[in-house]
Amino acid sequence: MTCTTGGCLCAAVRYTLADAPDHYDACHCSMCRKTSGGVGFGINVPDGGITWEGAENIGIYKSSEWAERAFCKICGSSLYYRMPGDGERPDFLSLAAGSLDDLEGLTMTTEIYIEAKPSGHAFAGDTKKMTEADVIAAFGGS
Amino acid sequence: MSTTDRTGACLCGAVRFTASAVRSDYGACHCEMCRRWTGSVFLGVSVPEGDLIWEGSENIRRYVSSDWAERAWCDRCGANLWYAVTVDGPHKGTLEIPLGLFDDPNGFELQRELYFDIAPDSFAIAGERQKMTAEETRRRFGGEATP
Repeated sequence: MTCTTGGCLCAAVRYTLADAPDHYDACHCSMCRKTSGGVGFGINVPDGGITWEGAENIGIYKSSEWAERAFCKICGSSLYYRMPGDGERPDFLSLAAGSLDDLEGLTMTTEIYIEAKPSGHAFAGDTKKMTEADVIAAFGGS
Repeated sequence: MSTTDRTGACLCGAVRFTASAVRSDYGACHCEMCRRWTGSVFLGVSVPEGDLIWEGSENIRRYVSSDWAERAWCDRCGANLWYAVTVDGPHKGTLEIPLGLFDDPNGFELQRELYFDIAPDSFAIAGERQKMTAEETRRRFGGEATP
């Protein structure tokens, strides 16, 4: 049984997940790299699958035409990457995995934008590795 | 140890910096505070405060995260900008700049992992390097504020 609660460093923002996650993925793209400071760890949360407390402390930055990134306005913790739904496409939210109260029982499954990874470190183990081209082929251009 | 001048910025570009004589080594921190702050693992390059020139510093916000340290981020995009020890001692005056902020994050080498004993068990960084436990890390960086 994995954890379903989490929050930012200062606890001004807290959340509860409807379903316990079993894995997260790593993203090495330049935007995740800049916002997290190194590498993004994301948990895909289904539309409506998260309940926030302290949502008034969430700062939103529109990082592209189709997506936004959120952080705690009190402590600066990275919170999530989100592509808002448009009526046809559901909301897509990738929650910062490190914000979970406990990561026990989770696995890191896939690394995306692997070609953008800084050369100084690499994760051990046999994660599935996808380039930007692989990601676009699998999930669409935008 | 080789050094080089480097530039970097937050995600939105509102905060930029130029760092002179930057060392090529960096460290990883697995502590709970760094994990929650970054959402993953903190990767930091040590840069003396005096070697940094900031632009857009009106967009920098700071949070006192413990008795011995502060963290700063860009108020517009939320990108982590630095971790700094604030208690008197040999580490005061040095900012830990996230590796990811550098315009070119290549050419660095990961040389140490802190709070290694409490890292999530779902990932490991390949290779051998200096690894410090939570207790060893506190003893080295916490100064007088160490419990």
